[in-house]
Amino acid sequence: MMGSVMQPLISALLEGERVGALTATKRLRAEGLSRERIITEGIEIAMAALDEKCTLEQFNLLEIMLVGRALSAVVDFLYPEGSQPPKTKGTVAIASLHGDIHDIGKKIVIMVLAANGYRIIDCGKDCPVDKLVNTAVNEGAMAVMVSGLITSVIPQVRQIKAALEEKGQGNVKVLAGGAALKQVSAHDLQVDYVAQTAFDGFHFLKEKL
Amino acid sequence: MPLLTVQANSDELSISFTIGQCLRSILDSTTMRVRSGCRGTGACGLCRILIRQGSGNLPTRNEHIQLSREQLAAGIRLACQFLPTEDVVVELLNPAPPSNWKSLGQEIIRPASLQNPSRTFPVSTTSPLGIAVDLGTTNISLALYDLFTGKRLTERHGINPQAIFGADVMTRLVAAAESVDIARKMSSVIFAALAEAFQDIGSREGYDLRQTIYLAVVGNTAMLSLLTGKNHGLLLNPEMWEKMIPCEPDQSADQAVQLGTHPEVKLEVIPPLAGFVGSDLLAGVLAMHLAEHSDPALFIDFGTNTEIALWDGHQLLVTSAAGGPAFEGCGISCGMPAEPGAIYRITDQDSDALTFAVIDEISPARGLCGSGFVDLVACLCNNGTISATGKFLSGAGVTEYVLPLPATALRLNKRDIDMMQRAKAAVATGVTVLLEKAGLRALDLHRVCLAGAFGKYIRIASAKAIGLVPNIDEKHFELCGNTALSGCEDFLLSSDVASRLESLRSAARLINLSKIPDFDELFFENLFFRPMTNG
Repeated sequence: MMGSVMQPLISALLEGERVGALTATKRLRAEGLSRERIITEGIEIAMAALDEKCTLEQFNLLEIMLVGRALSAVVDFLYPEGSQPPKTKGTVAIASLHGDIHDIGKKIVIMVLAANGYRIIDCGKDCPVDKLVNTAVNEGAMAVMVSGLITSVIPQVRQIKAALEEKGQGNVKVLAGGAALKQVSAHDLQVDYVAQTAFDGFHFLKEKL
Repeated sequence: MPLLTVQANSDELSISFTIGQCLRSILDSTTMRVRSGCRGTGACGLCRILIRQGSGNLPTRNEHIQLSREQLAAGIRLACQFLPTEDVVVELLNPAPPSNWKSLGQEIIRPASLQNPSRTFPVSTTSPLGIAVDLGTTNISLALYDLFTGKRLTERHGINPQAIFGADVMTRLVAAAESVDIARKMSSVIFAALAEAFQDIGSREGYDLRQTIYLAVVGNTAMLSLLTGKNHGLLLNPEMWEKMIPCEPDQSADQAVQLGTHPEVKLEVIPPLAGFVGSDLLAGVLAMHLAEHSDPALFIDFGTNTEIALWDGHQLLVTSAAGGPAFEGCGISCGMPAEPGAIYRITDQDSDALTFAVIDEISPARGLCGSGFVDLVACLCNNGTISATGKFLSGAGVTEYVLPLPATALRLNKRDIDMMQRAKAAVATGVTVLLEKAGLRALDLHRVCLAGAFGKYIRIASAKAIGLVPNIDEKHFELCGNTALSGCEDFLLSSDVASRLESLRSAARLINLSKIPDFDELFFENLFFRPMTNG
């Protein structure tokens, strides 16, 4: 039954229609649905559908970015700046490392995780390992994610786990992804997991933590 | 056009031709060529063929000298003398050994200023030759010149054998950084490839390449530094991409021996502008005389890395956009290079039905080259098969489009569309950023020069419709082909060009797209299939 109420929002999100998704969300709020229910029964269902489709290679980069924008608009409407943030499933620190200025893959990961209730600290692109590790420790992150499009960042990836252990945070999971890193084994990169896609990374977090 | 069918050993090949060409020159663009010891004058008698079907001109004087009466009666002719006038089937009696090098018979118009070469050379030979080389990541092109007369003698096109170390520049740089041996090997395979090309020219056209006293090379920075073994490791550090990367060659006598040139050959590697902008771009700008007018002009050299230059009347703004190899027909499911059998043009003038043009009219078509790919996307957007976001509108869950062509199974899928969106968004974003930096609008542009193999066949209307090039009047566009080689040829012949090149360097201003704050936003806007805004 809930599905039918949520359907306009879910469809608009999957179509990447920002205005349509906002209109649907406003209507749901006017009908008295809580923000939490809109997240768990609307946004997360839409993301699960996107997840299935992504594995079928039915979505291109532009469509995923459009979904991301529609999603941010809905989340910003539900939780305007200053309001109490939604309950999170945990904090994740994410970055593209020093020398890597590619940002798009990382943005998709952020979108998937944010839509599924994680709190994301984005350390940006061209980020030194120190900064990423310090941020993760200070923010109490459960996981650190690195996205790498160029092979030359591999030596930096190998330092992350050791740097966390040095600070007594060896239990913080380290995930790697992106065109260059996903061709290398987790063992070789000295990380906990190498994600093939943004959703693959999300599933790892969901199952292991 | 009539059709030529060639048989040699157990191979067979068909190619259409224009009446008036000799058989040898028709074959020169293919992989099945004839052996020859002269320059196609009928003097050596090596290029014997047997005419199995069809006819052409009567035997020439030289054929009567080279061939016996029995041979002529049996239908044996010389490929350089025989001009077919209808469909013919021929057998090569003396095929050339297979070579990786082809001659495309590209027509070159040289500016008058270059018809009298102005270089002086320290080495004295009776008839000095010079070779200009465009060392690309995927392809190598070269042209041979008589340095006394400035005459273009011949040319060759082949594949860069470094591809075995990785298709893209970054993979090769990483491989070279791993060991000195690999780096050395990557350099030597290029010298070996050049030697092979020179040998092909020597054995097939009779030029004495030991007279070659000057070799000029242009290319992207990675290719040049891997060739000379200088500083390629620096290119792995993005901080160096905006800096000068010295890559002068160490000359050795061994090189000349390996290349088969004059022992004192001068190898000149034209220095790149910076880590991410090679001398191929400078050569192209030079060849198009972009910076010799006060009117704003845009130059786009399409490739895996598309290099873009904007002349604003005073300075040359330069950038490089990594869009992937879609324009070269690579990485897409039905893609292929612009070779015989490639669909290079698709039009939809008659209602919804698409019309396909195939290189050399080969049927069935083998694939889509870059320009065909751009046309197809433009047509499918126009007839409502795909949306501006790249979604198939023909029904829920549809993820591919089957080309309506007989006897082929060519299809375009979601991934292909995604590749095109990323490739064209990278280029359009580069153009947008350069225009913004120069304080110009697209409407201010007087010239838009499109270079590269892709820039030769591209249909401007399609490229405008999907937002790959500025949305301005077609009269401003020029399709230029391989401008890097043309510029390198100019350089080879004239010391005046060398000084123009130096003033171009000092007028150049590098723009690093990754440092543009709103790059992601611009890239996103340009992912849509729609004309660029002319802001």
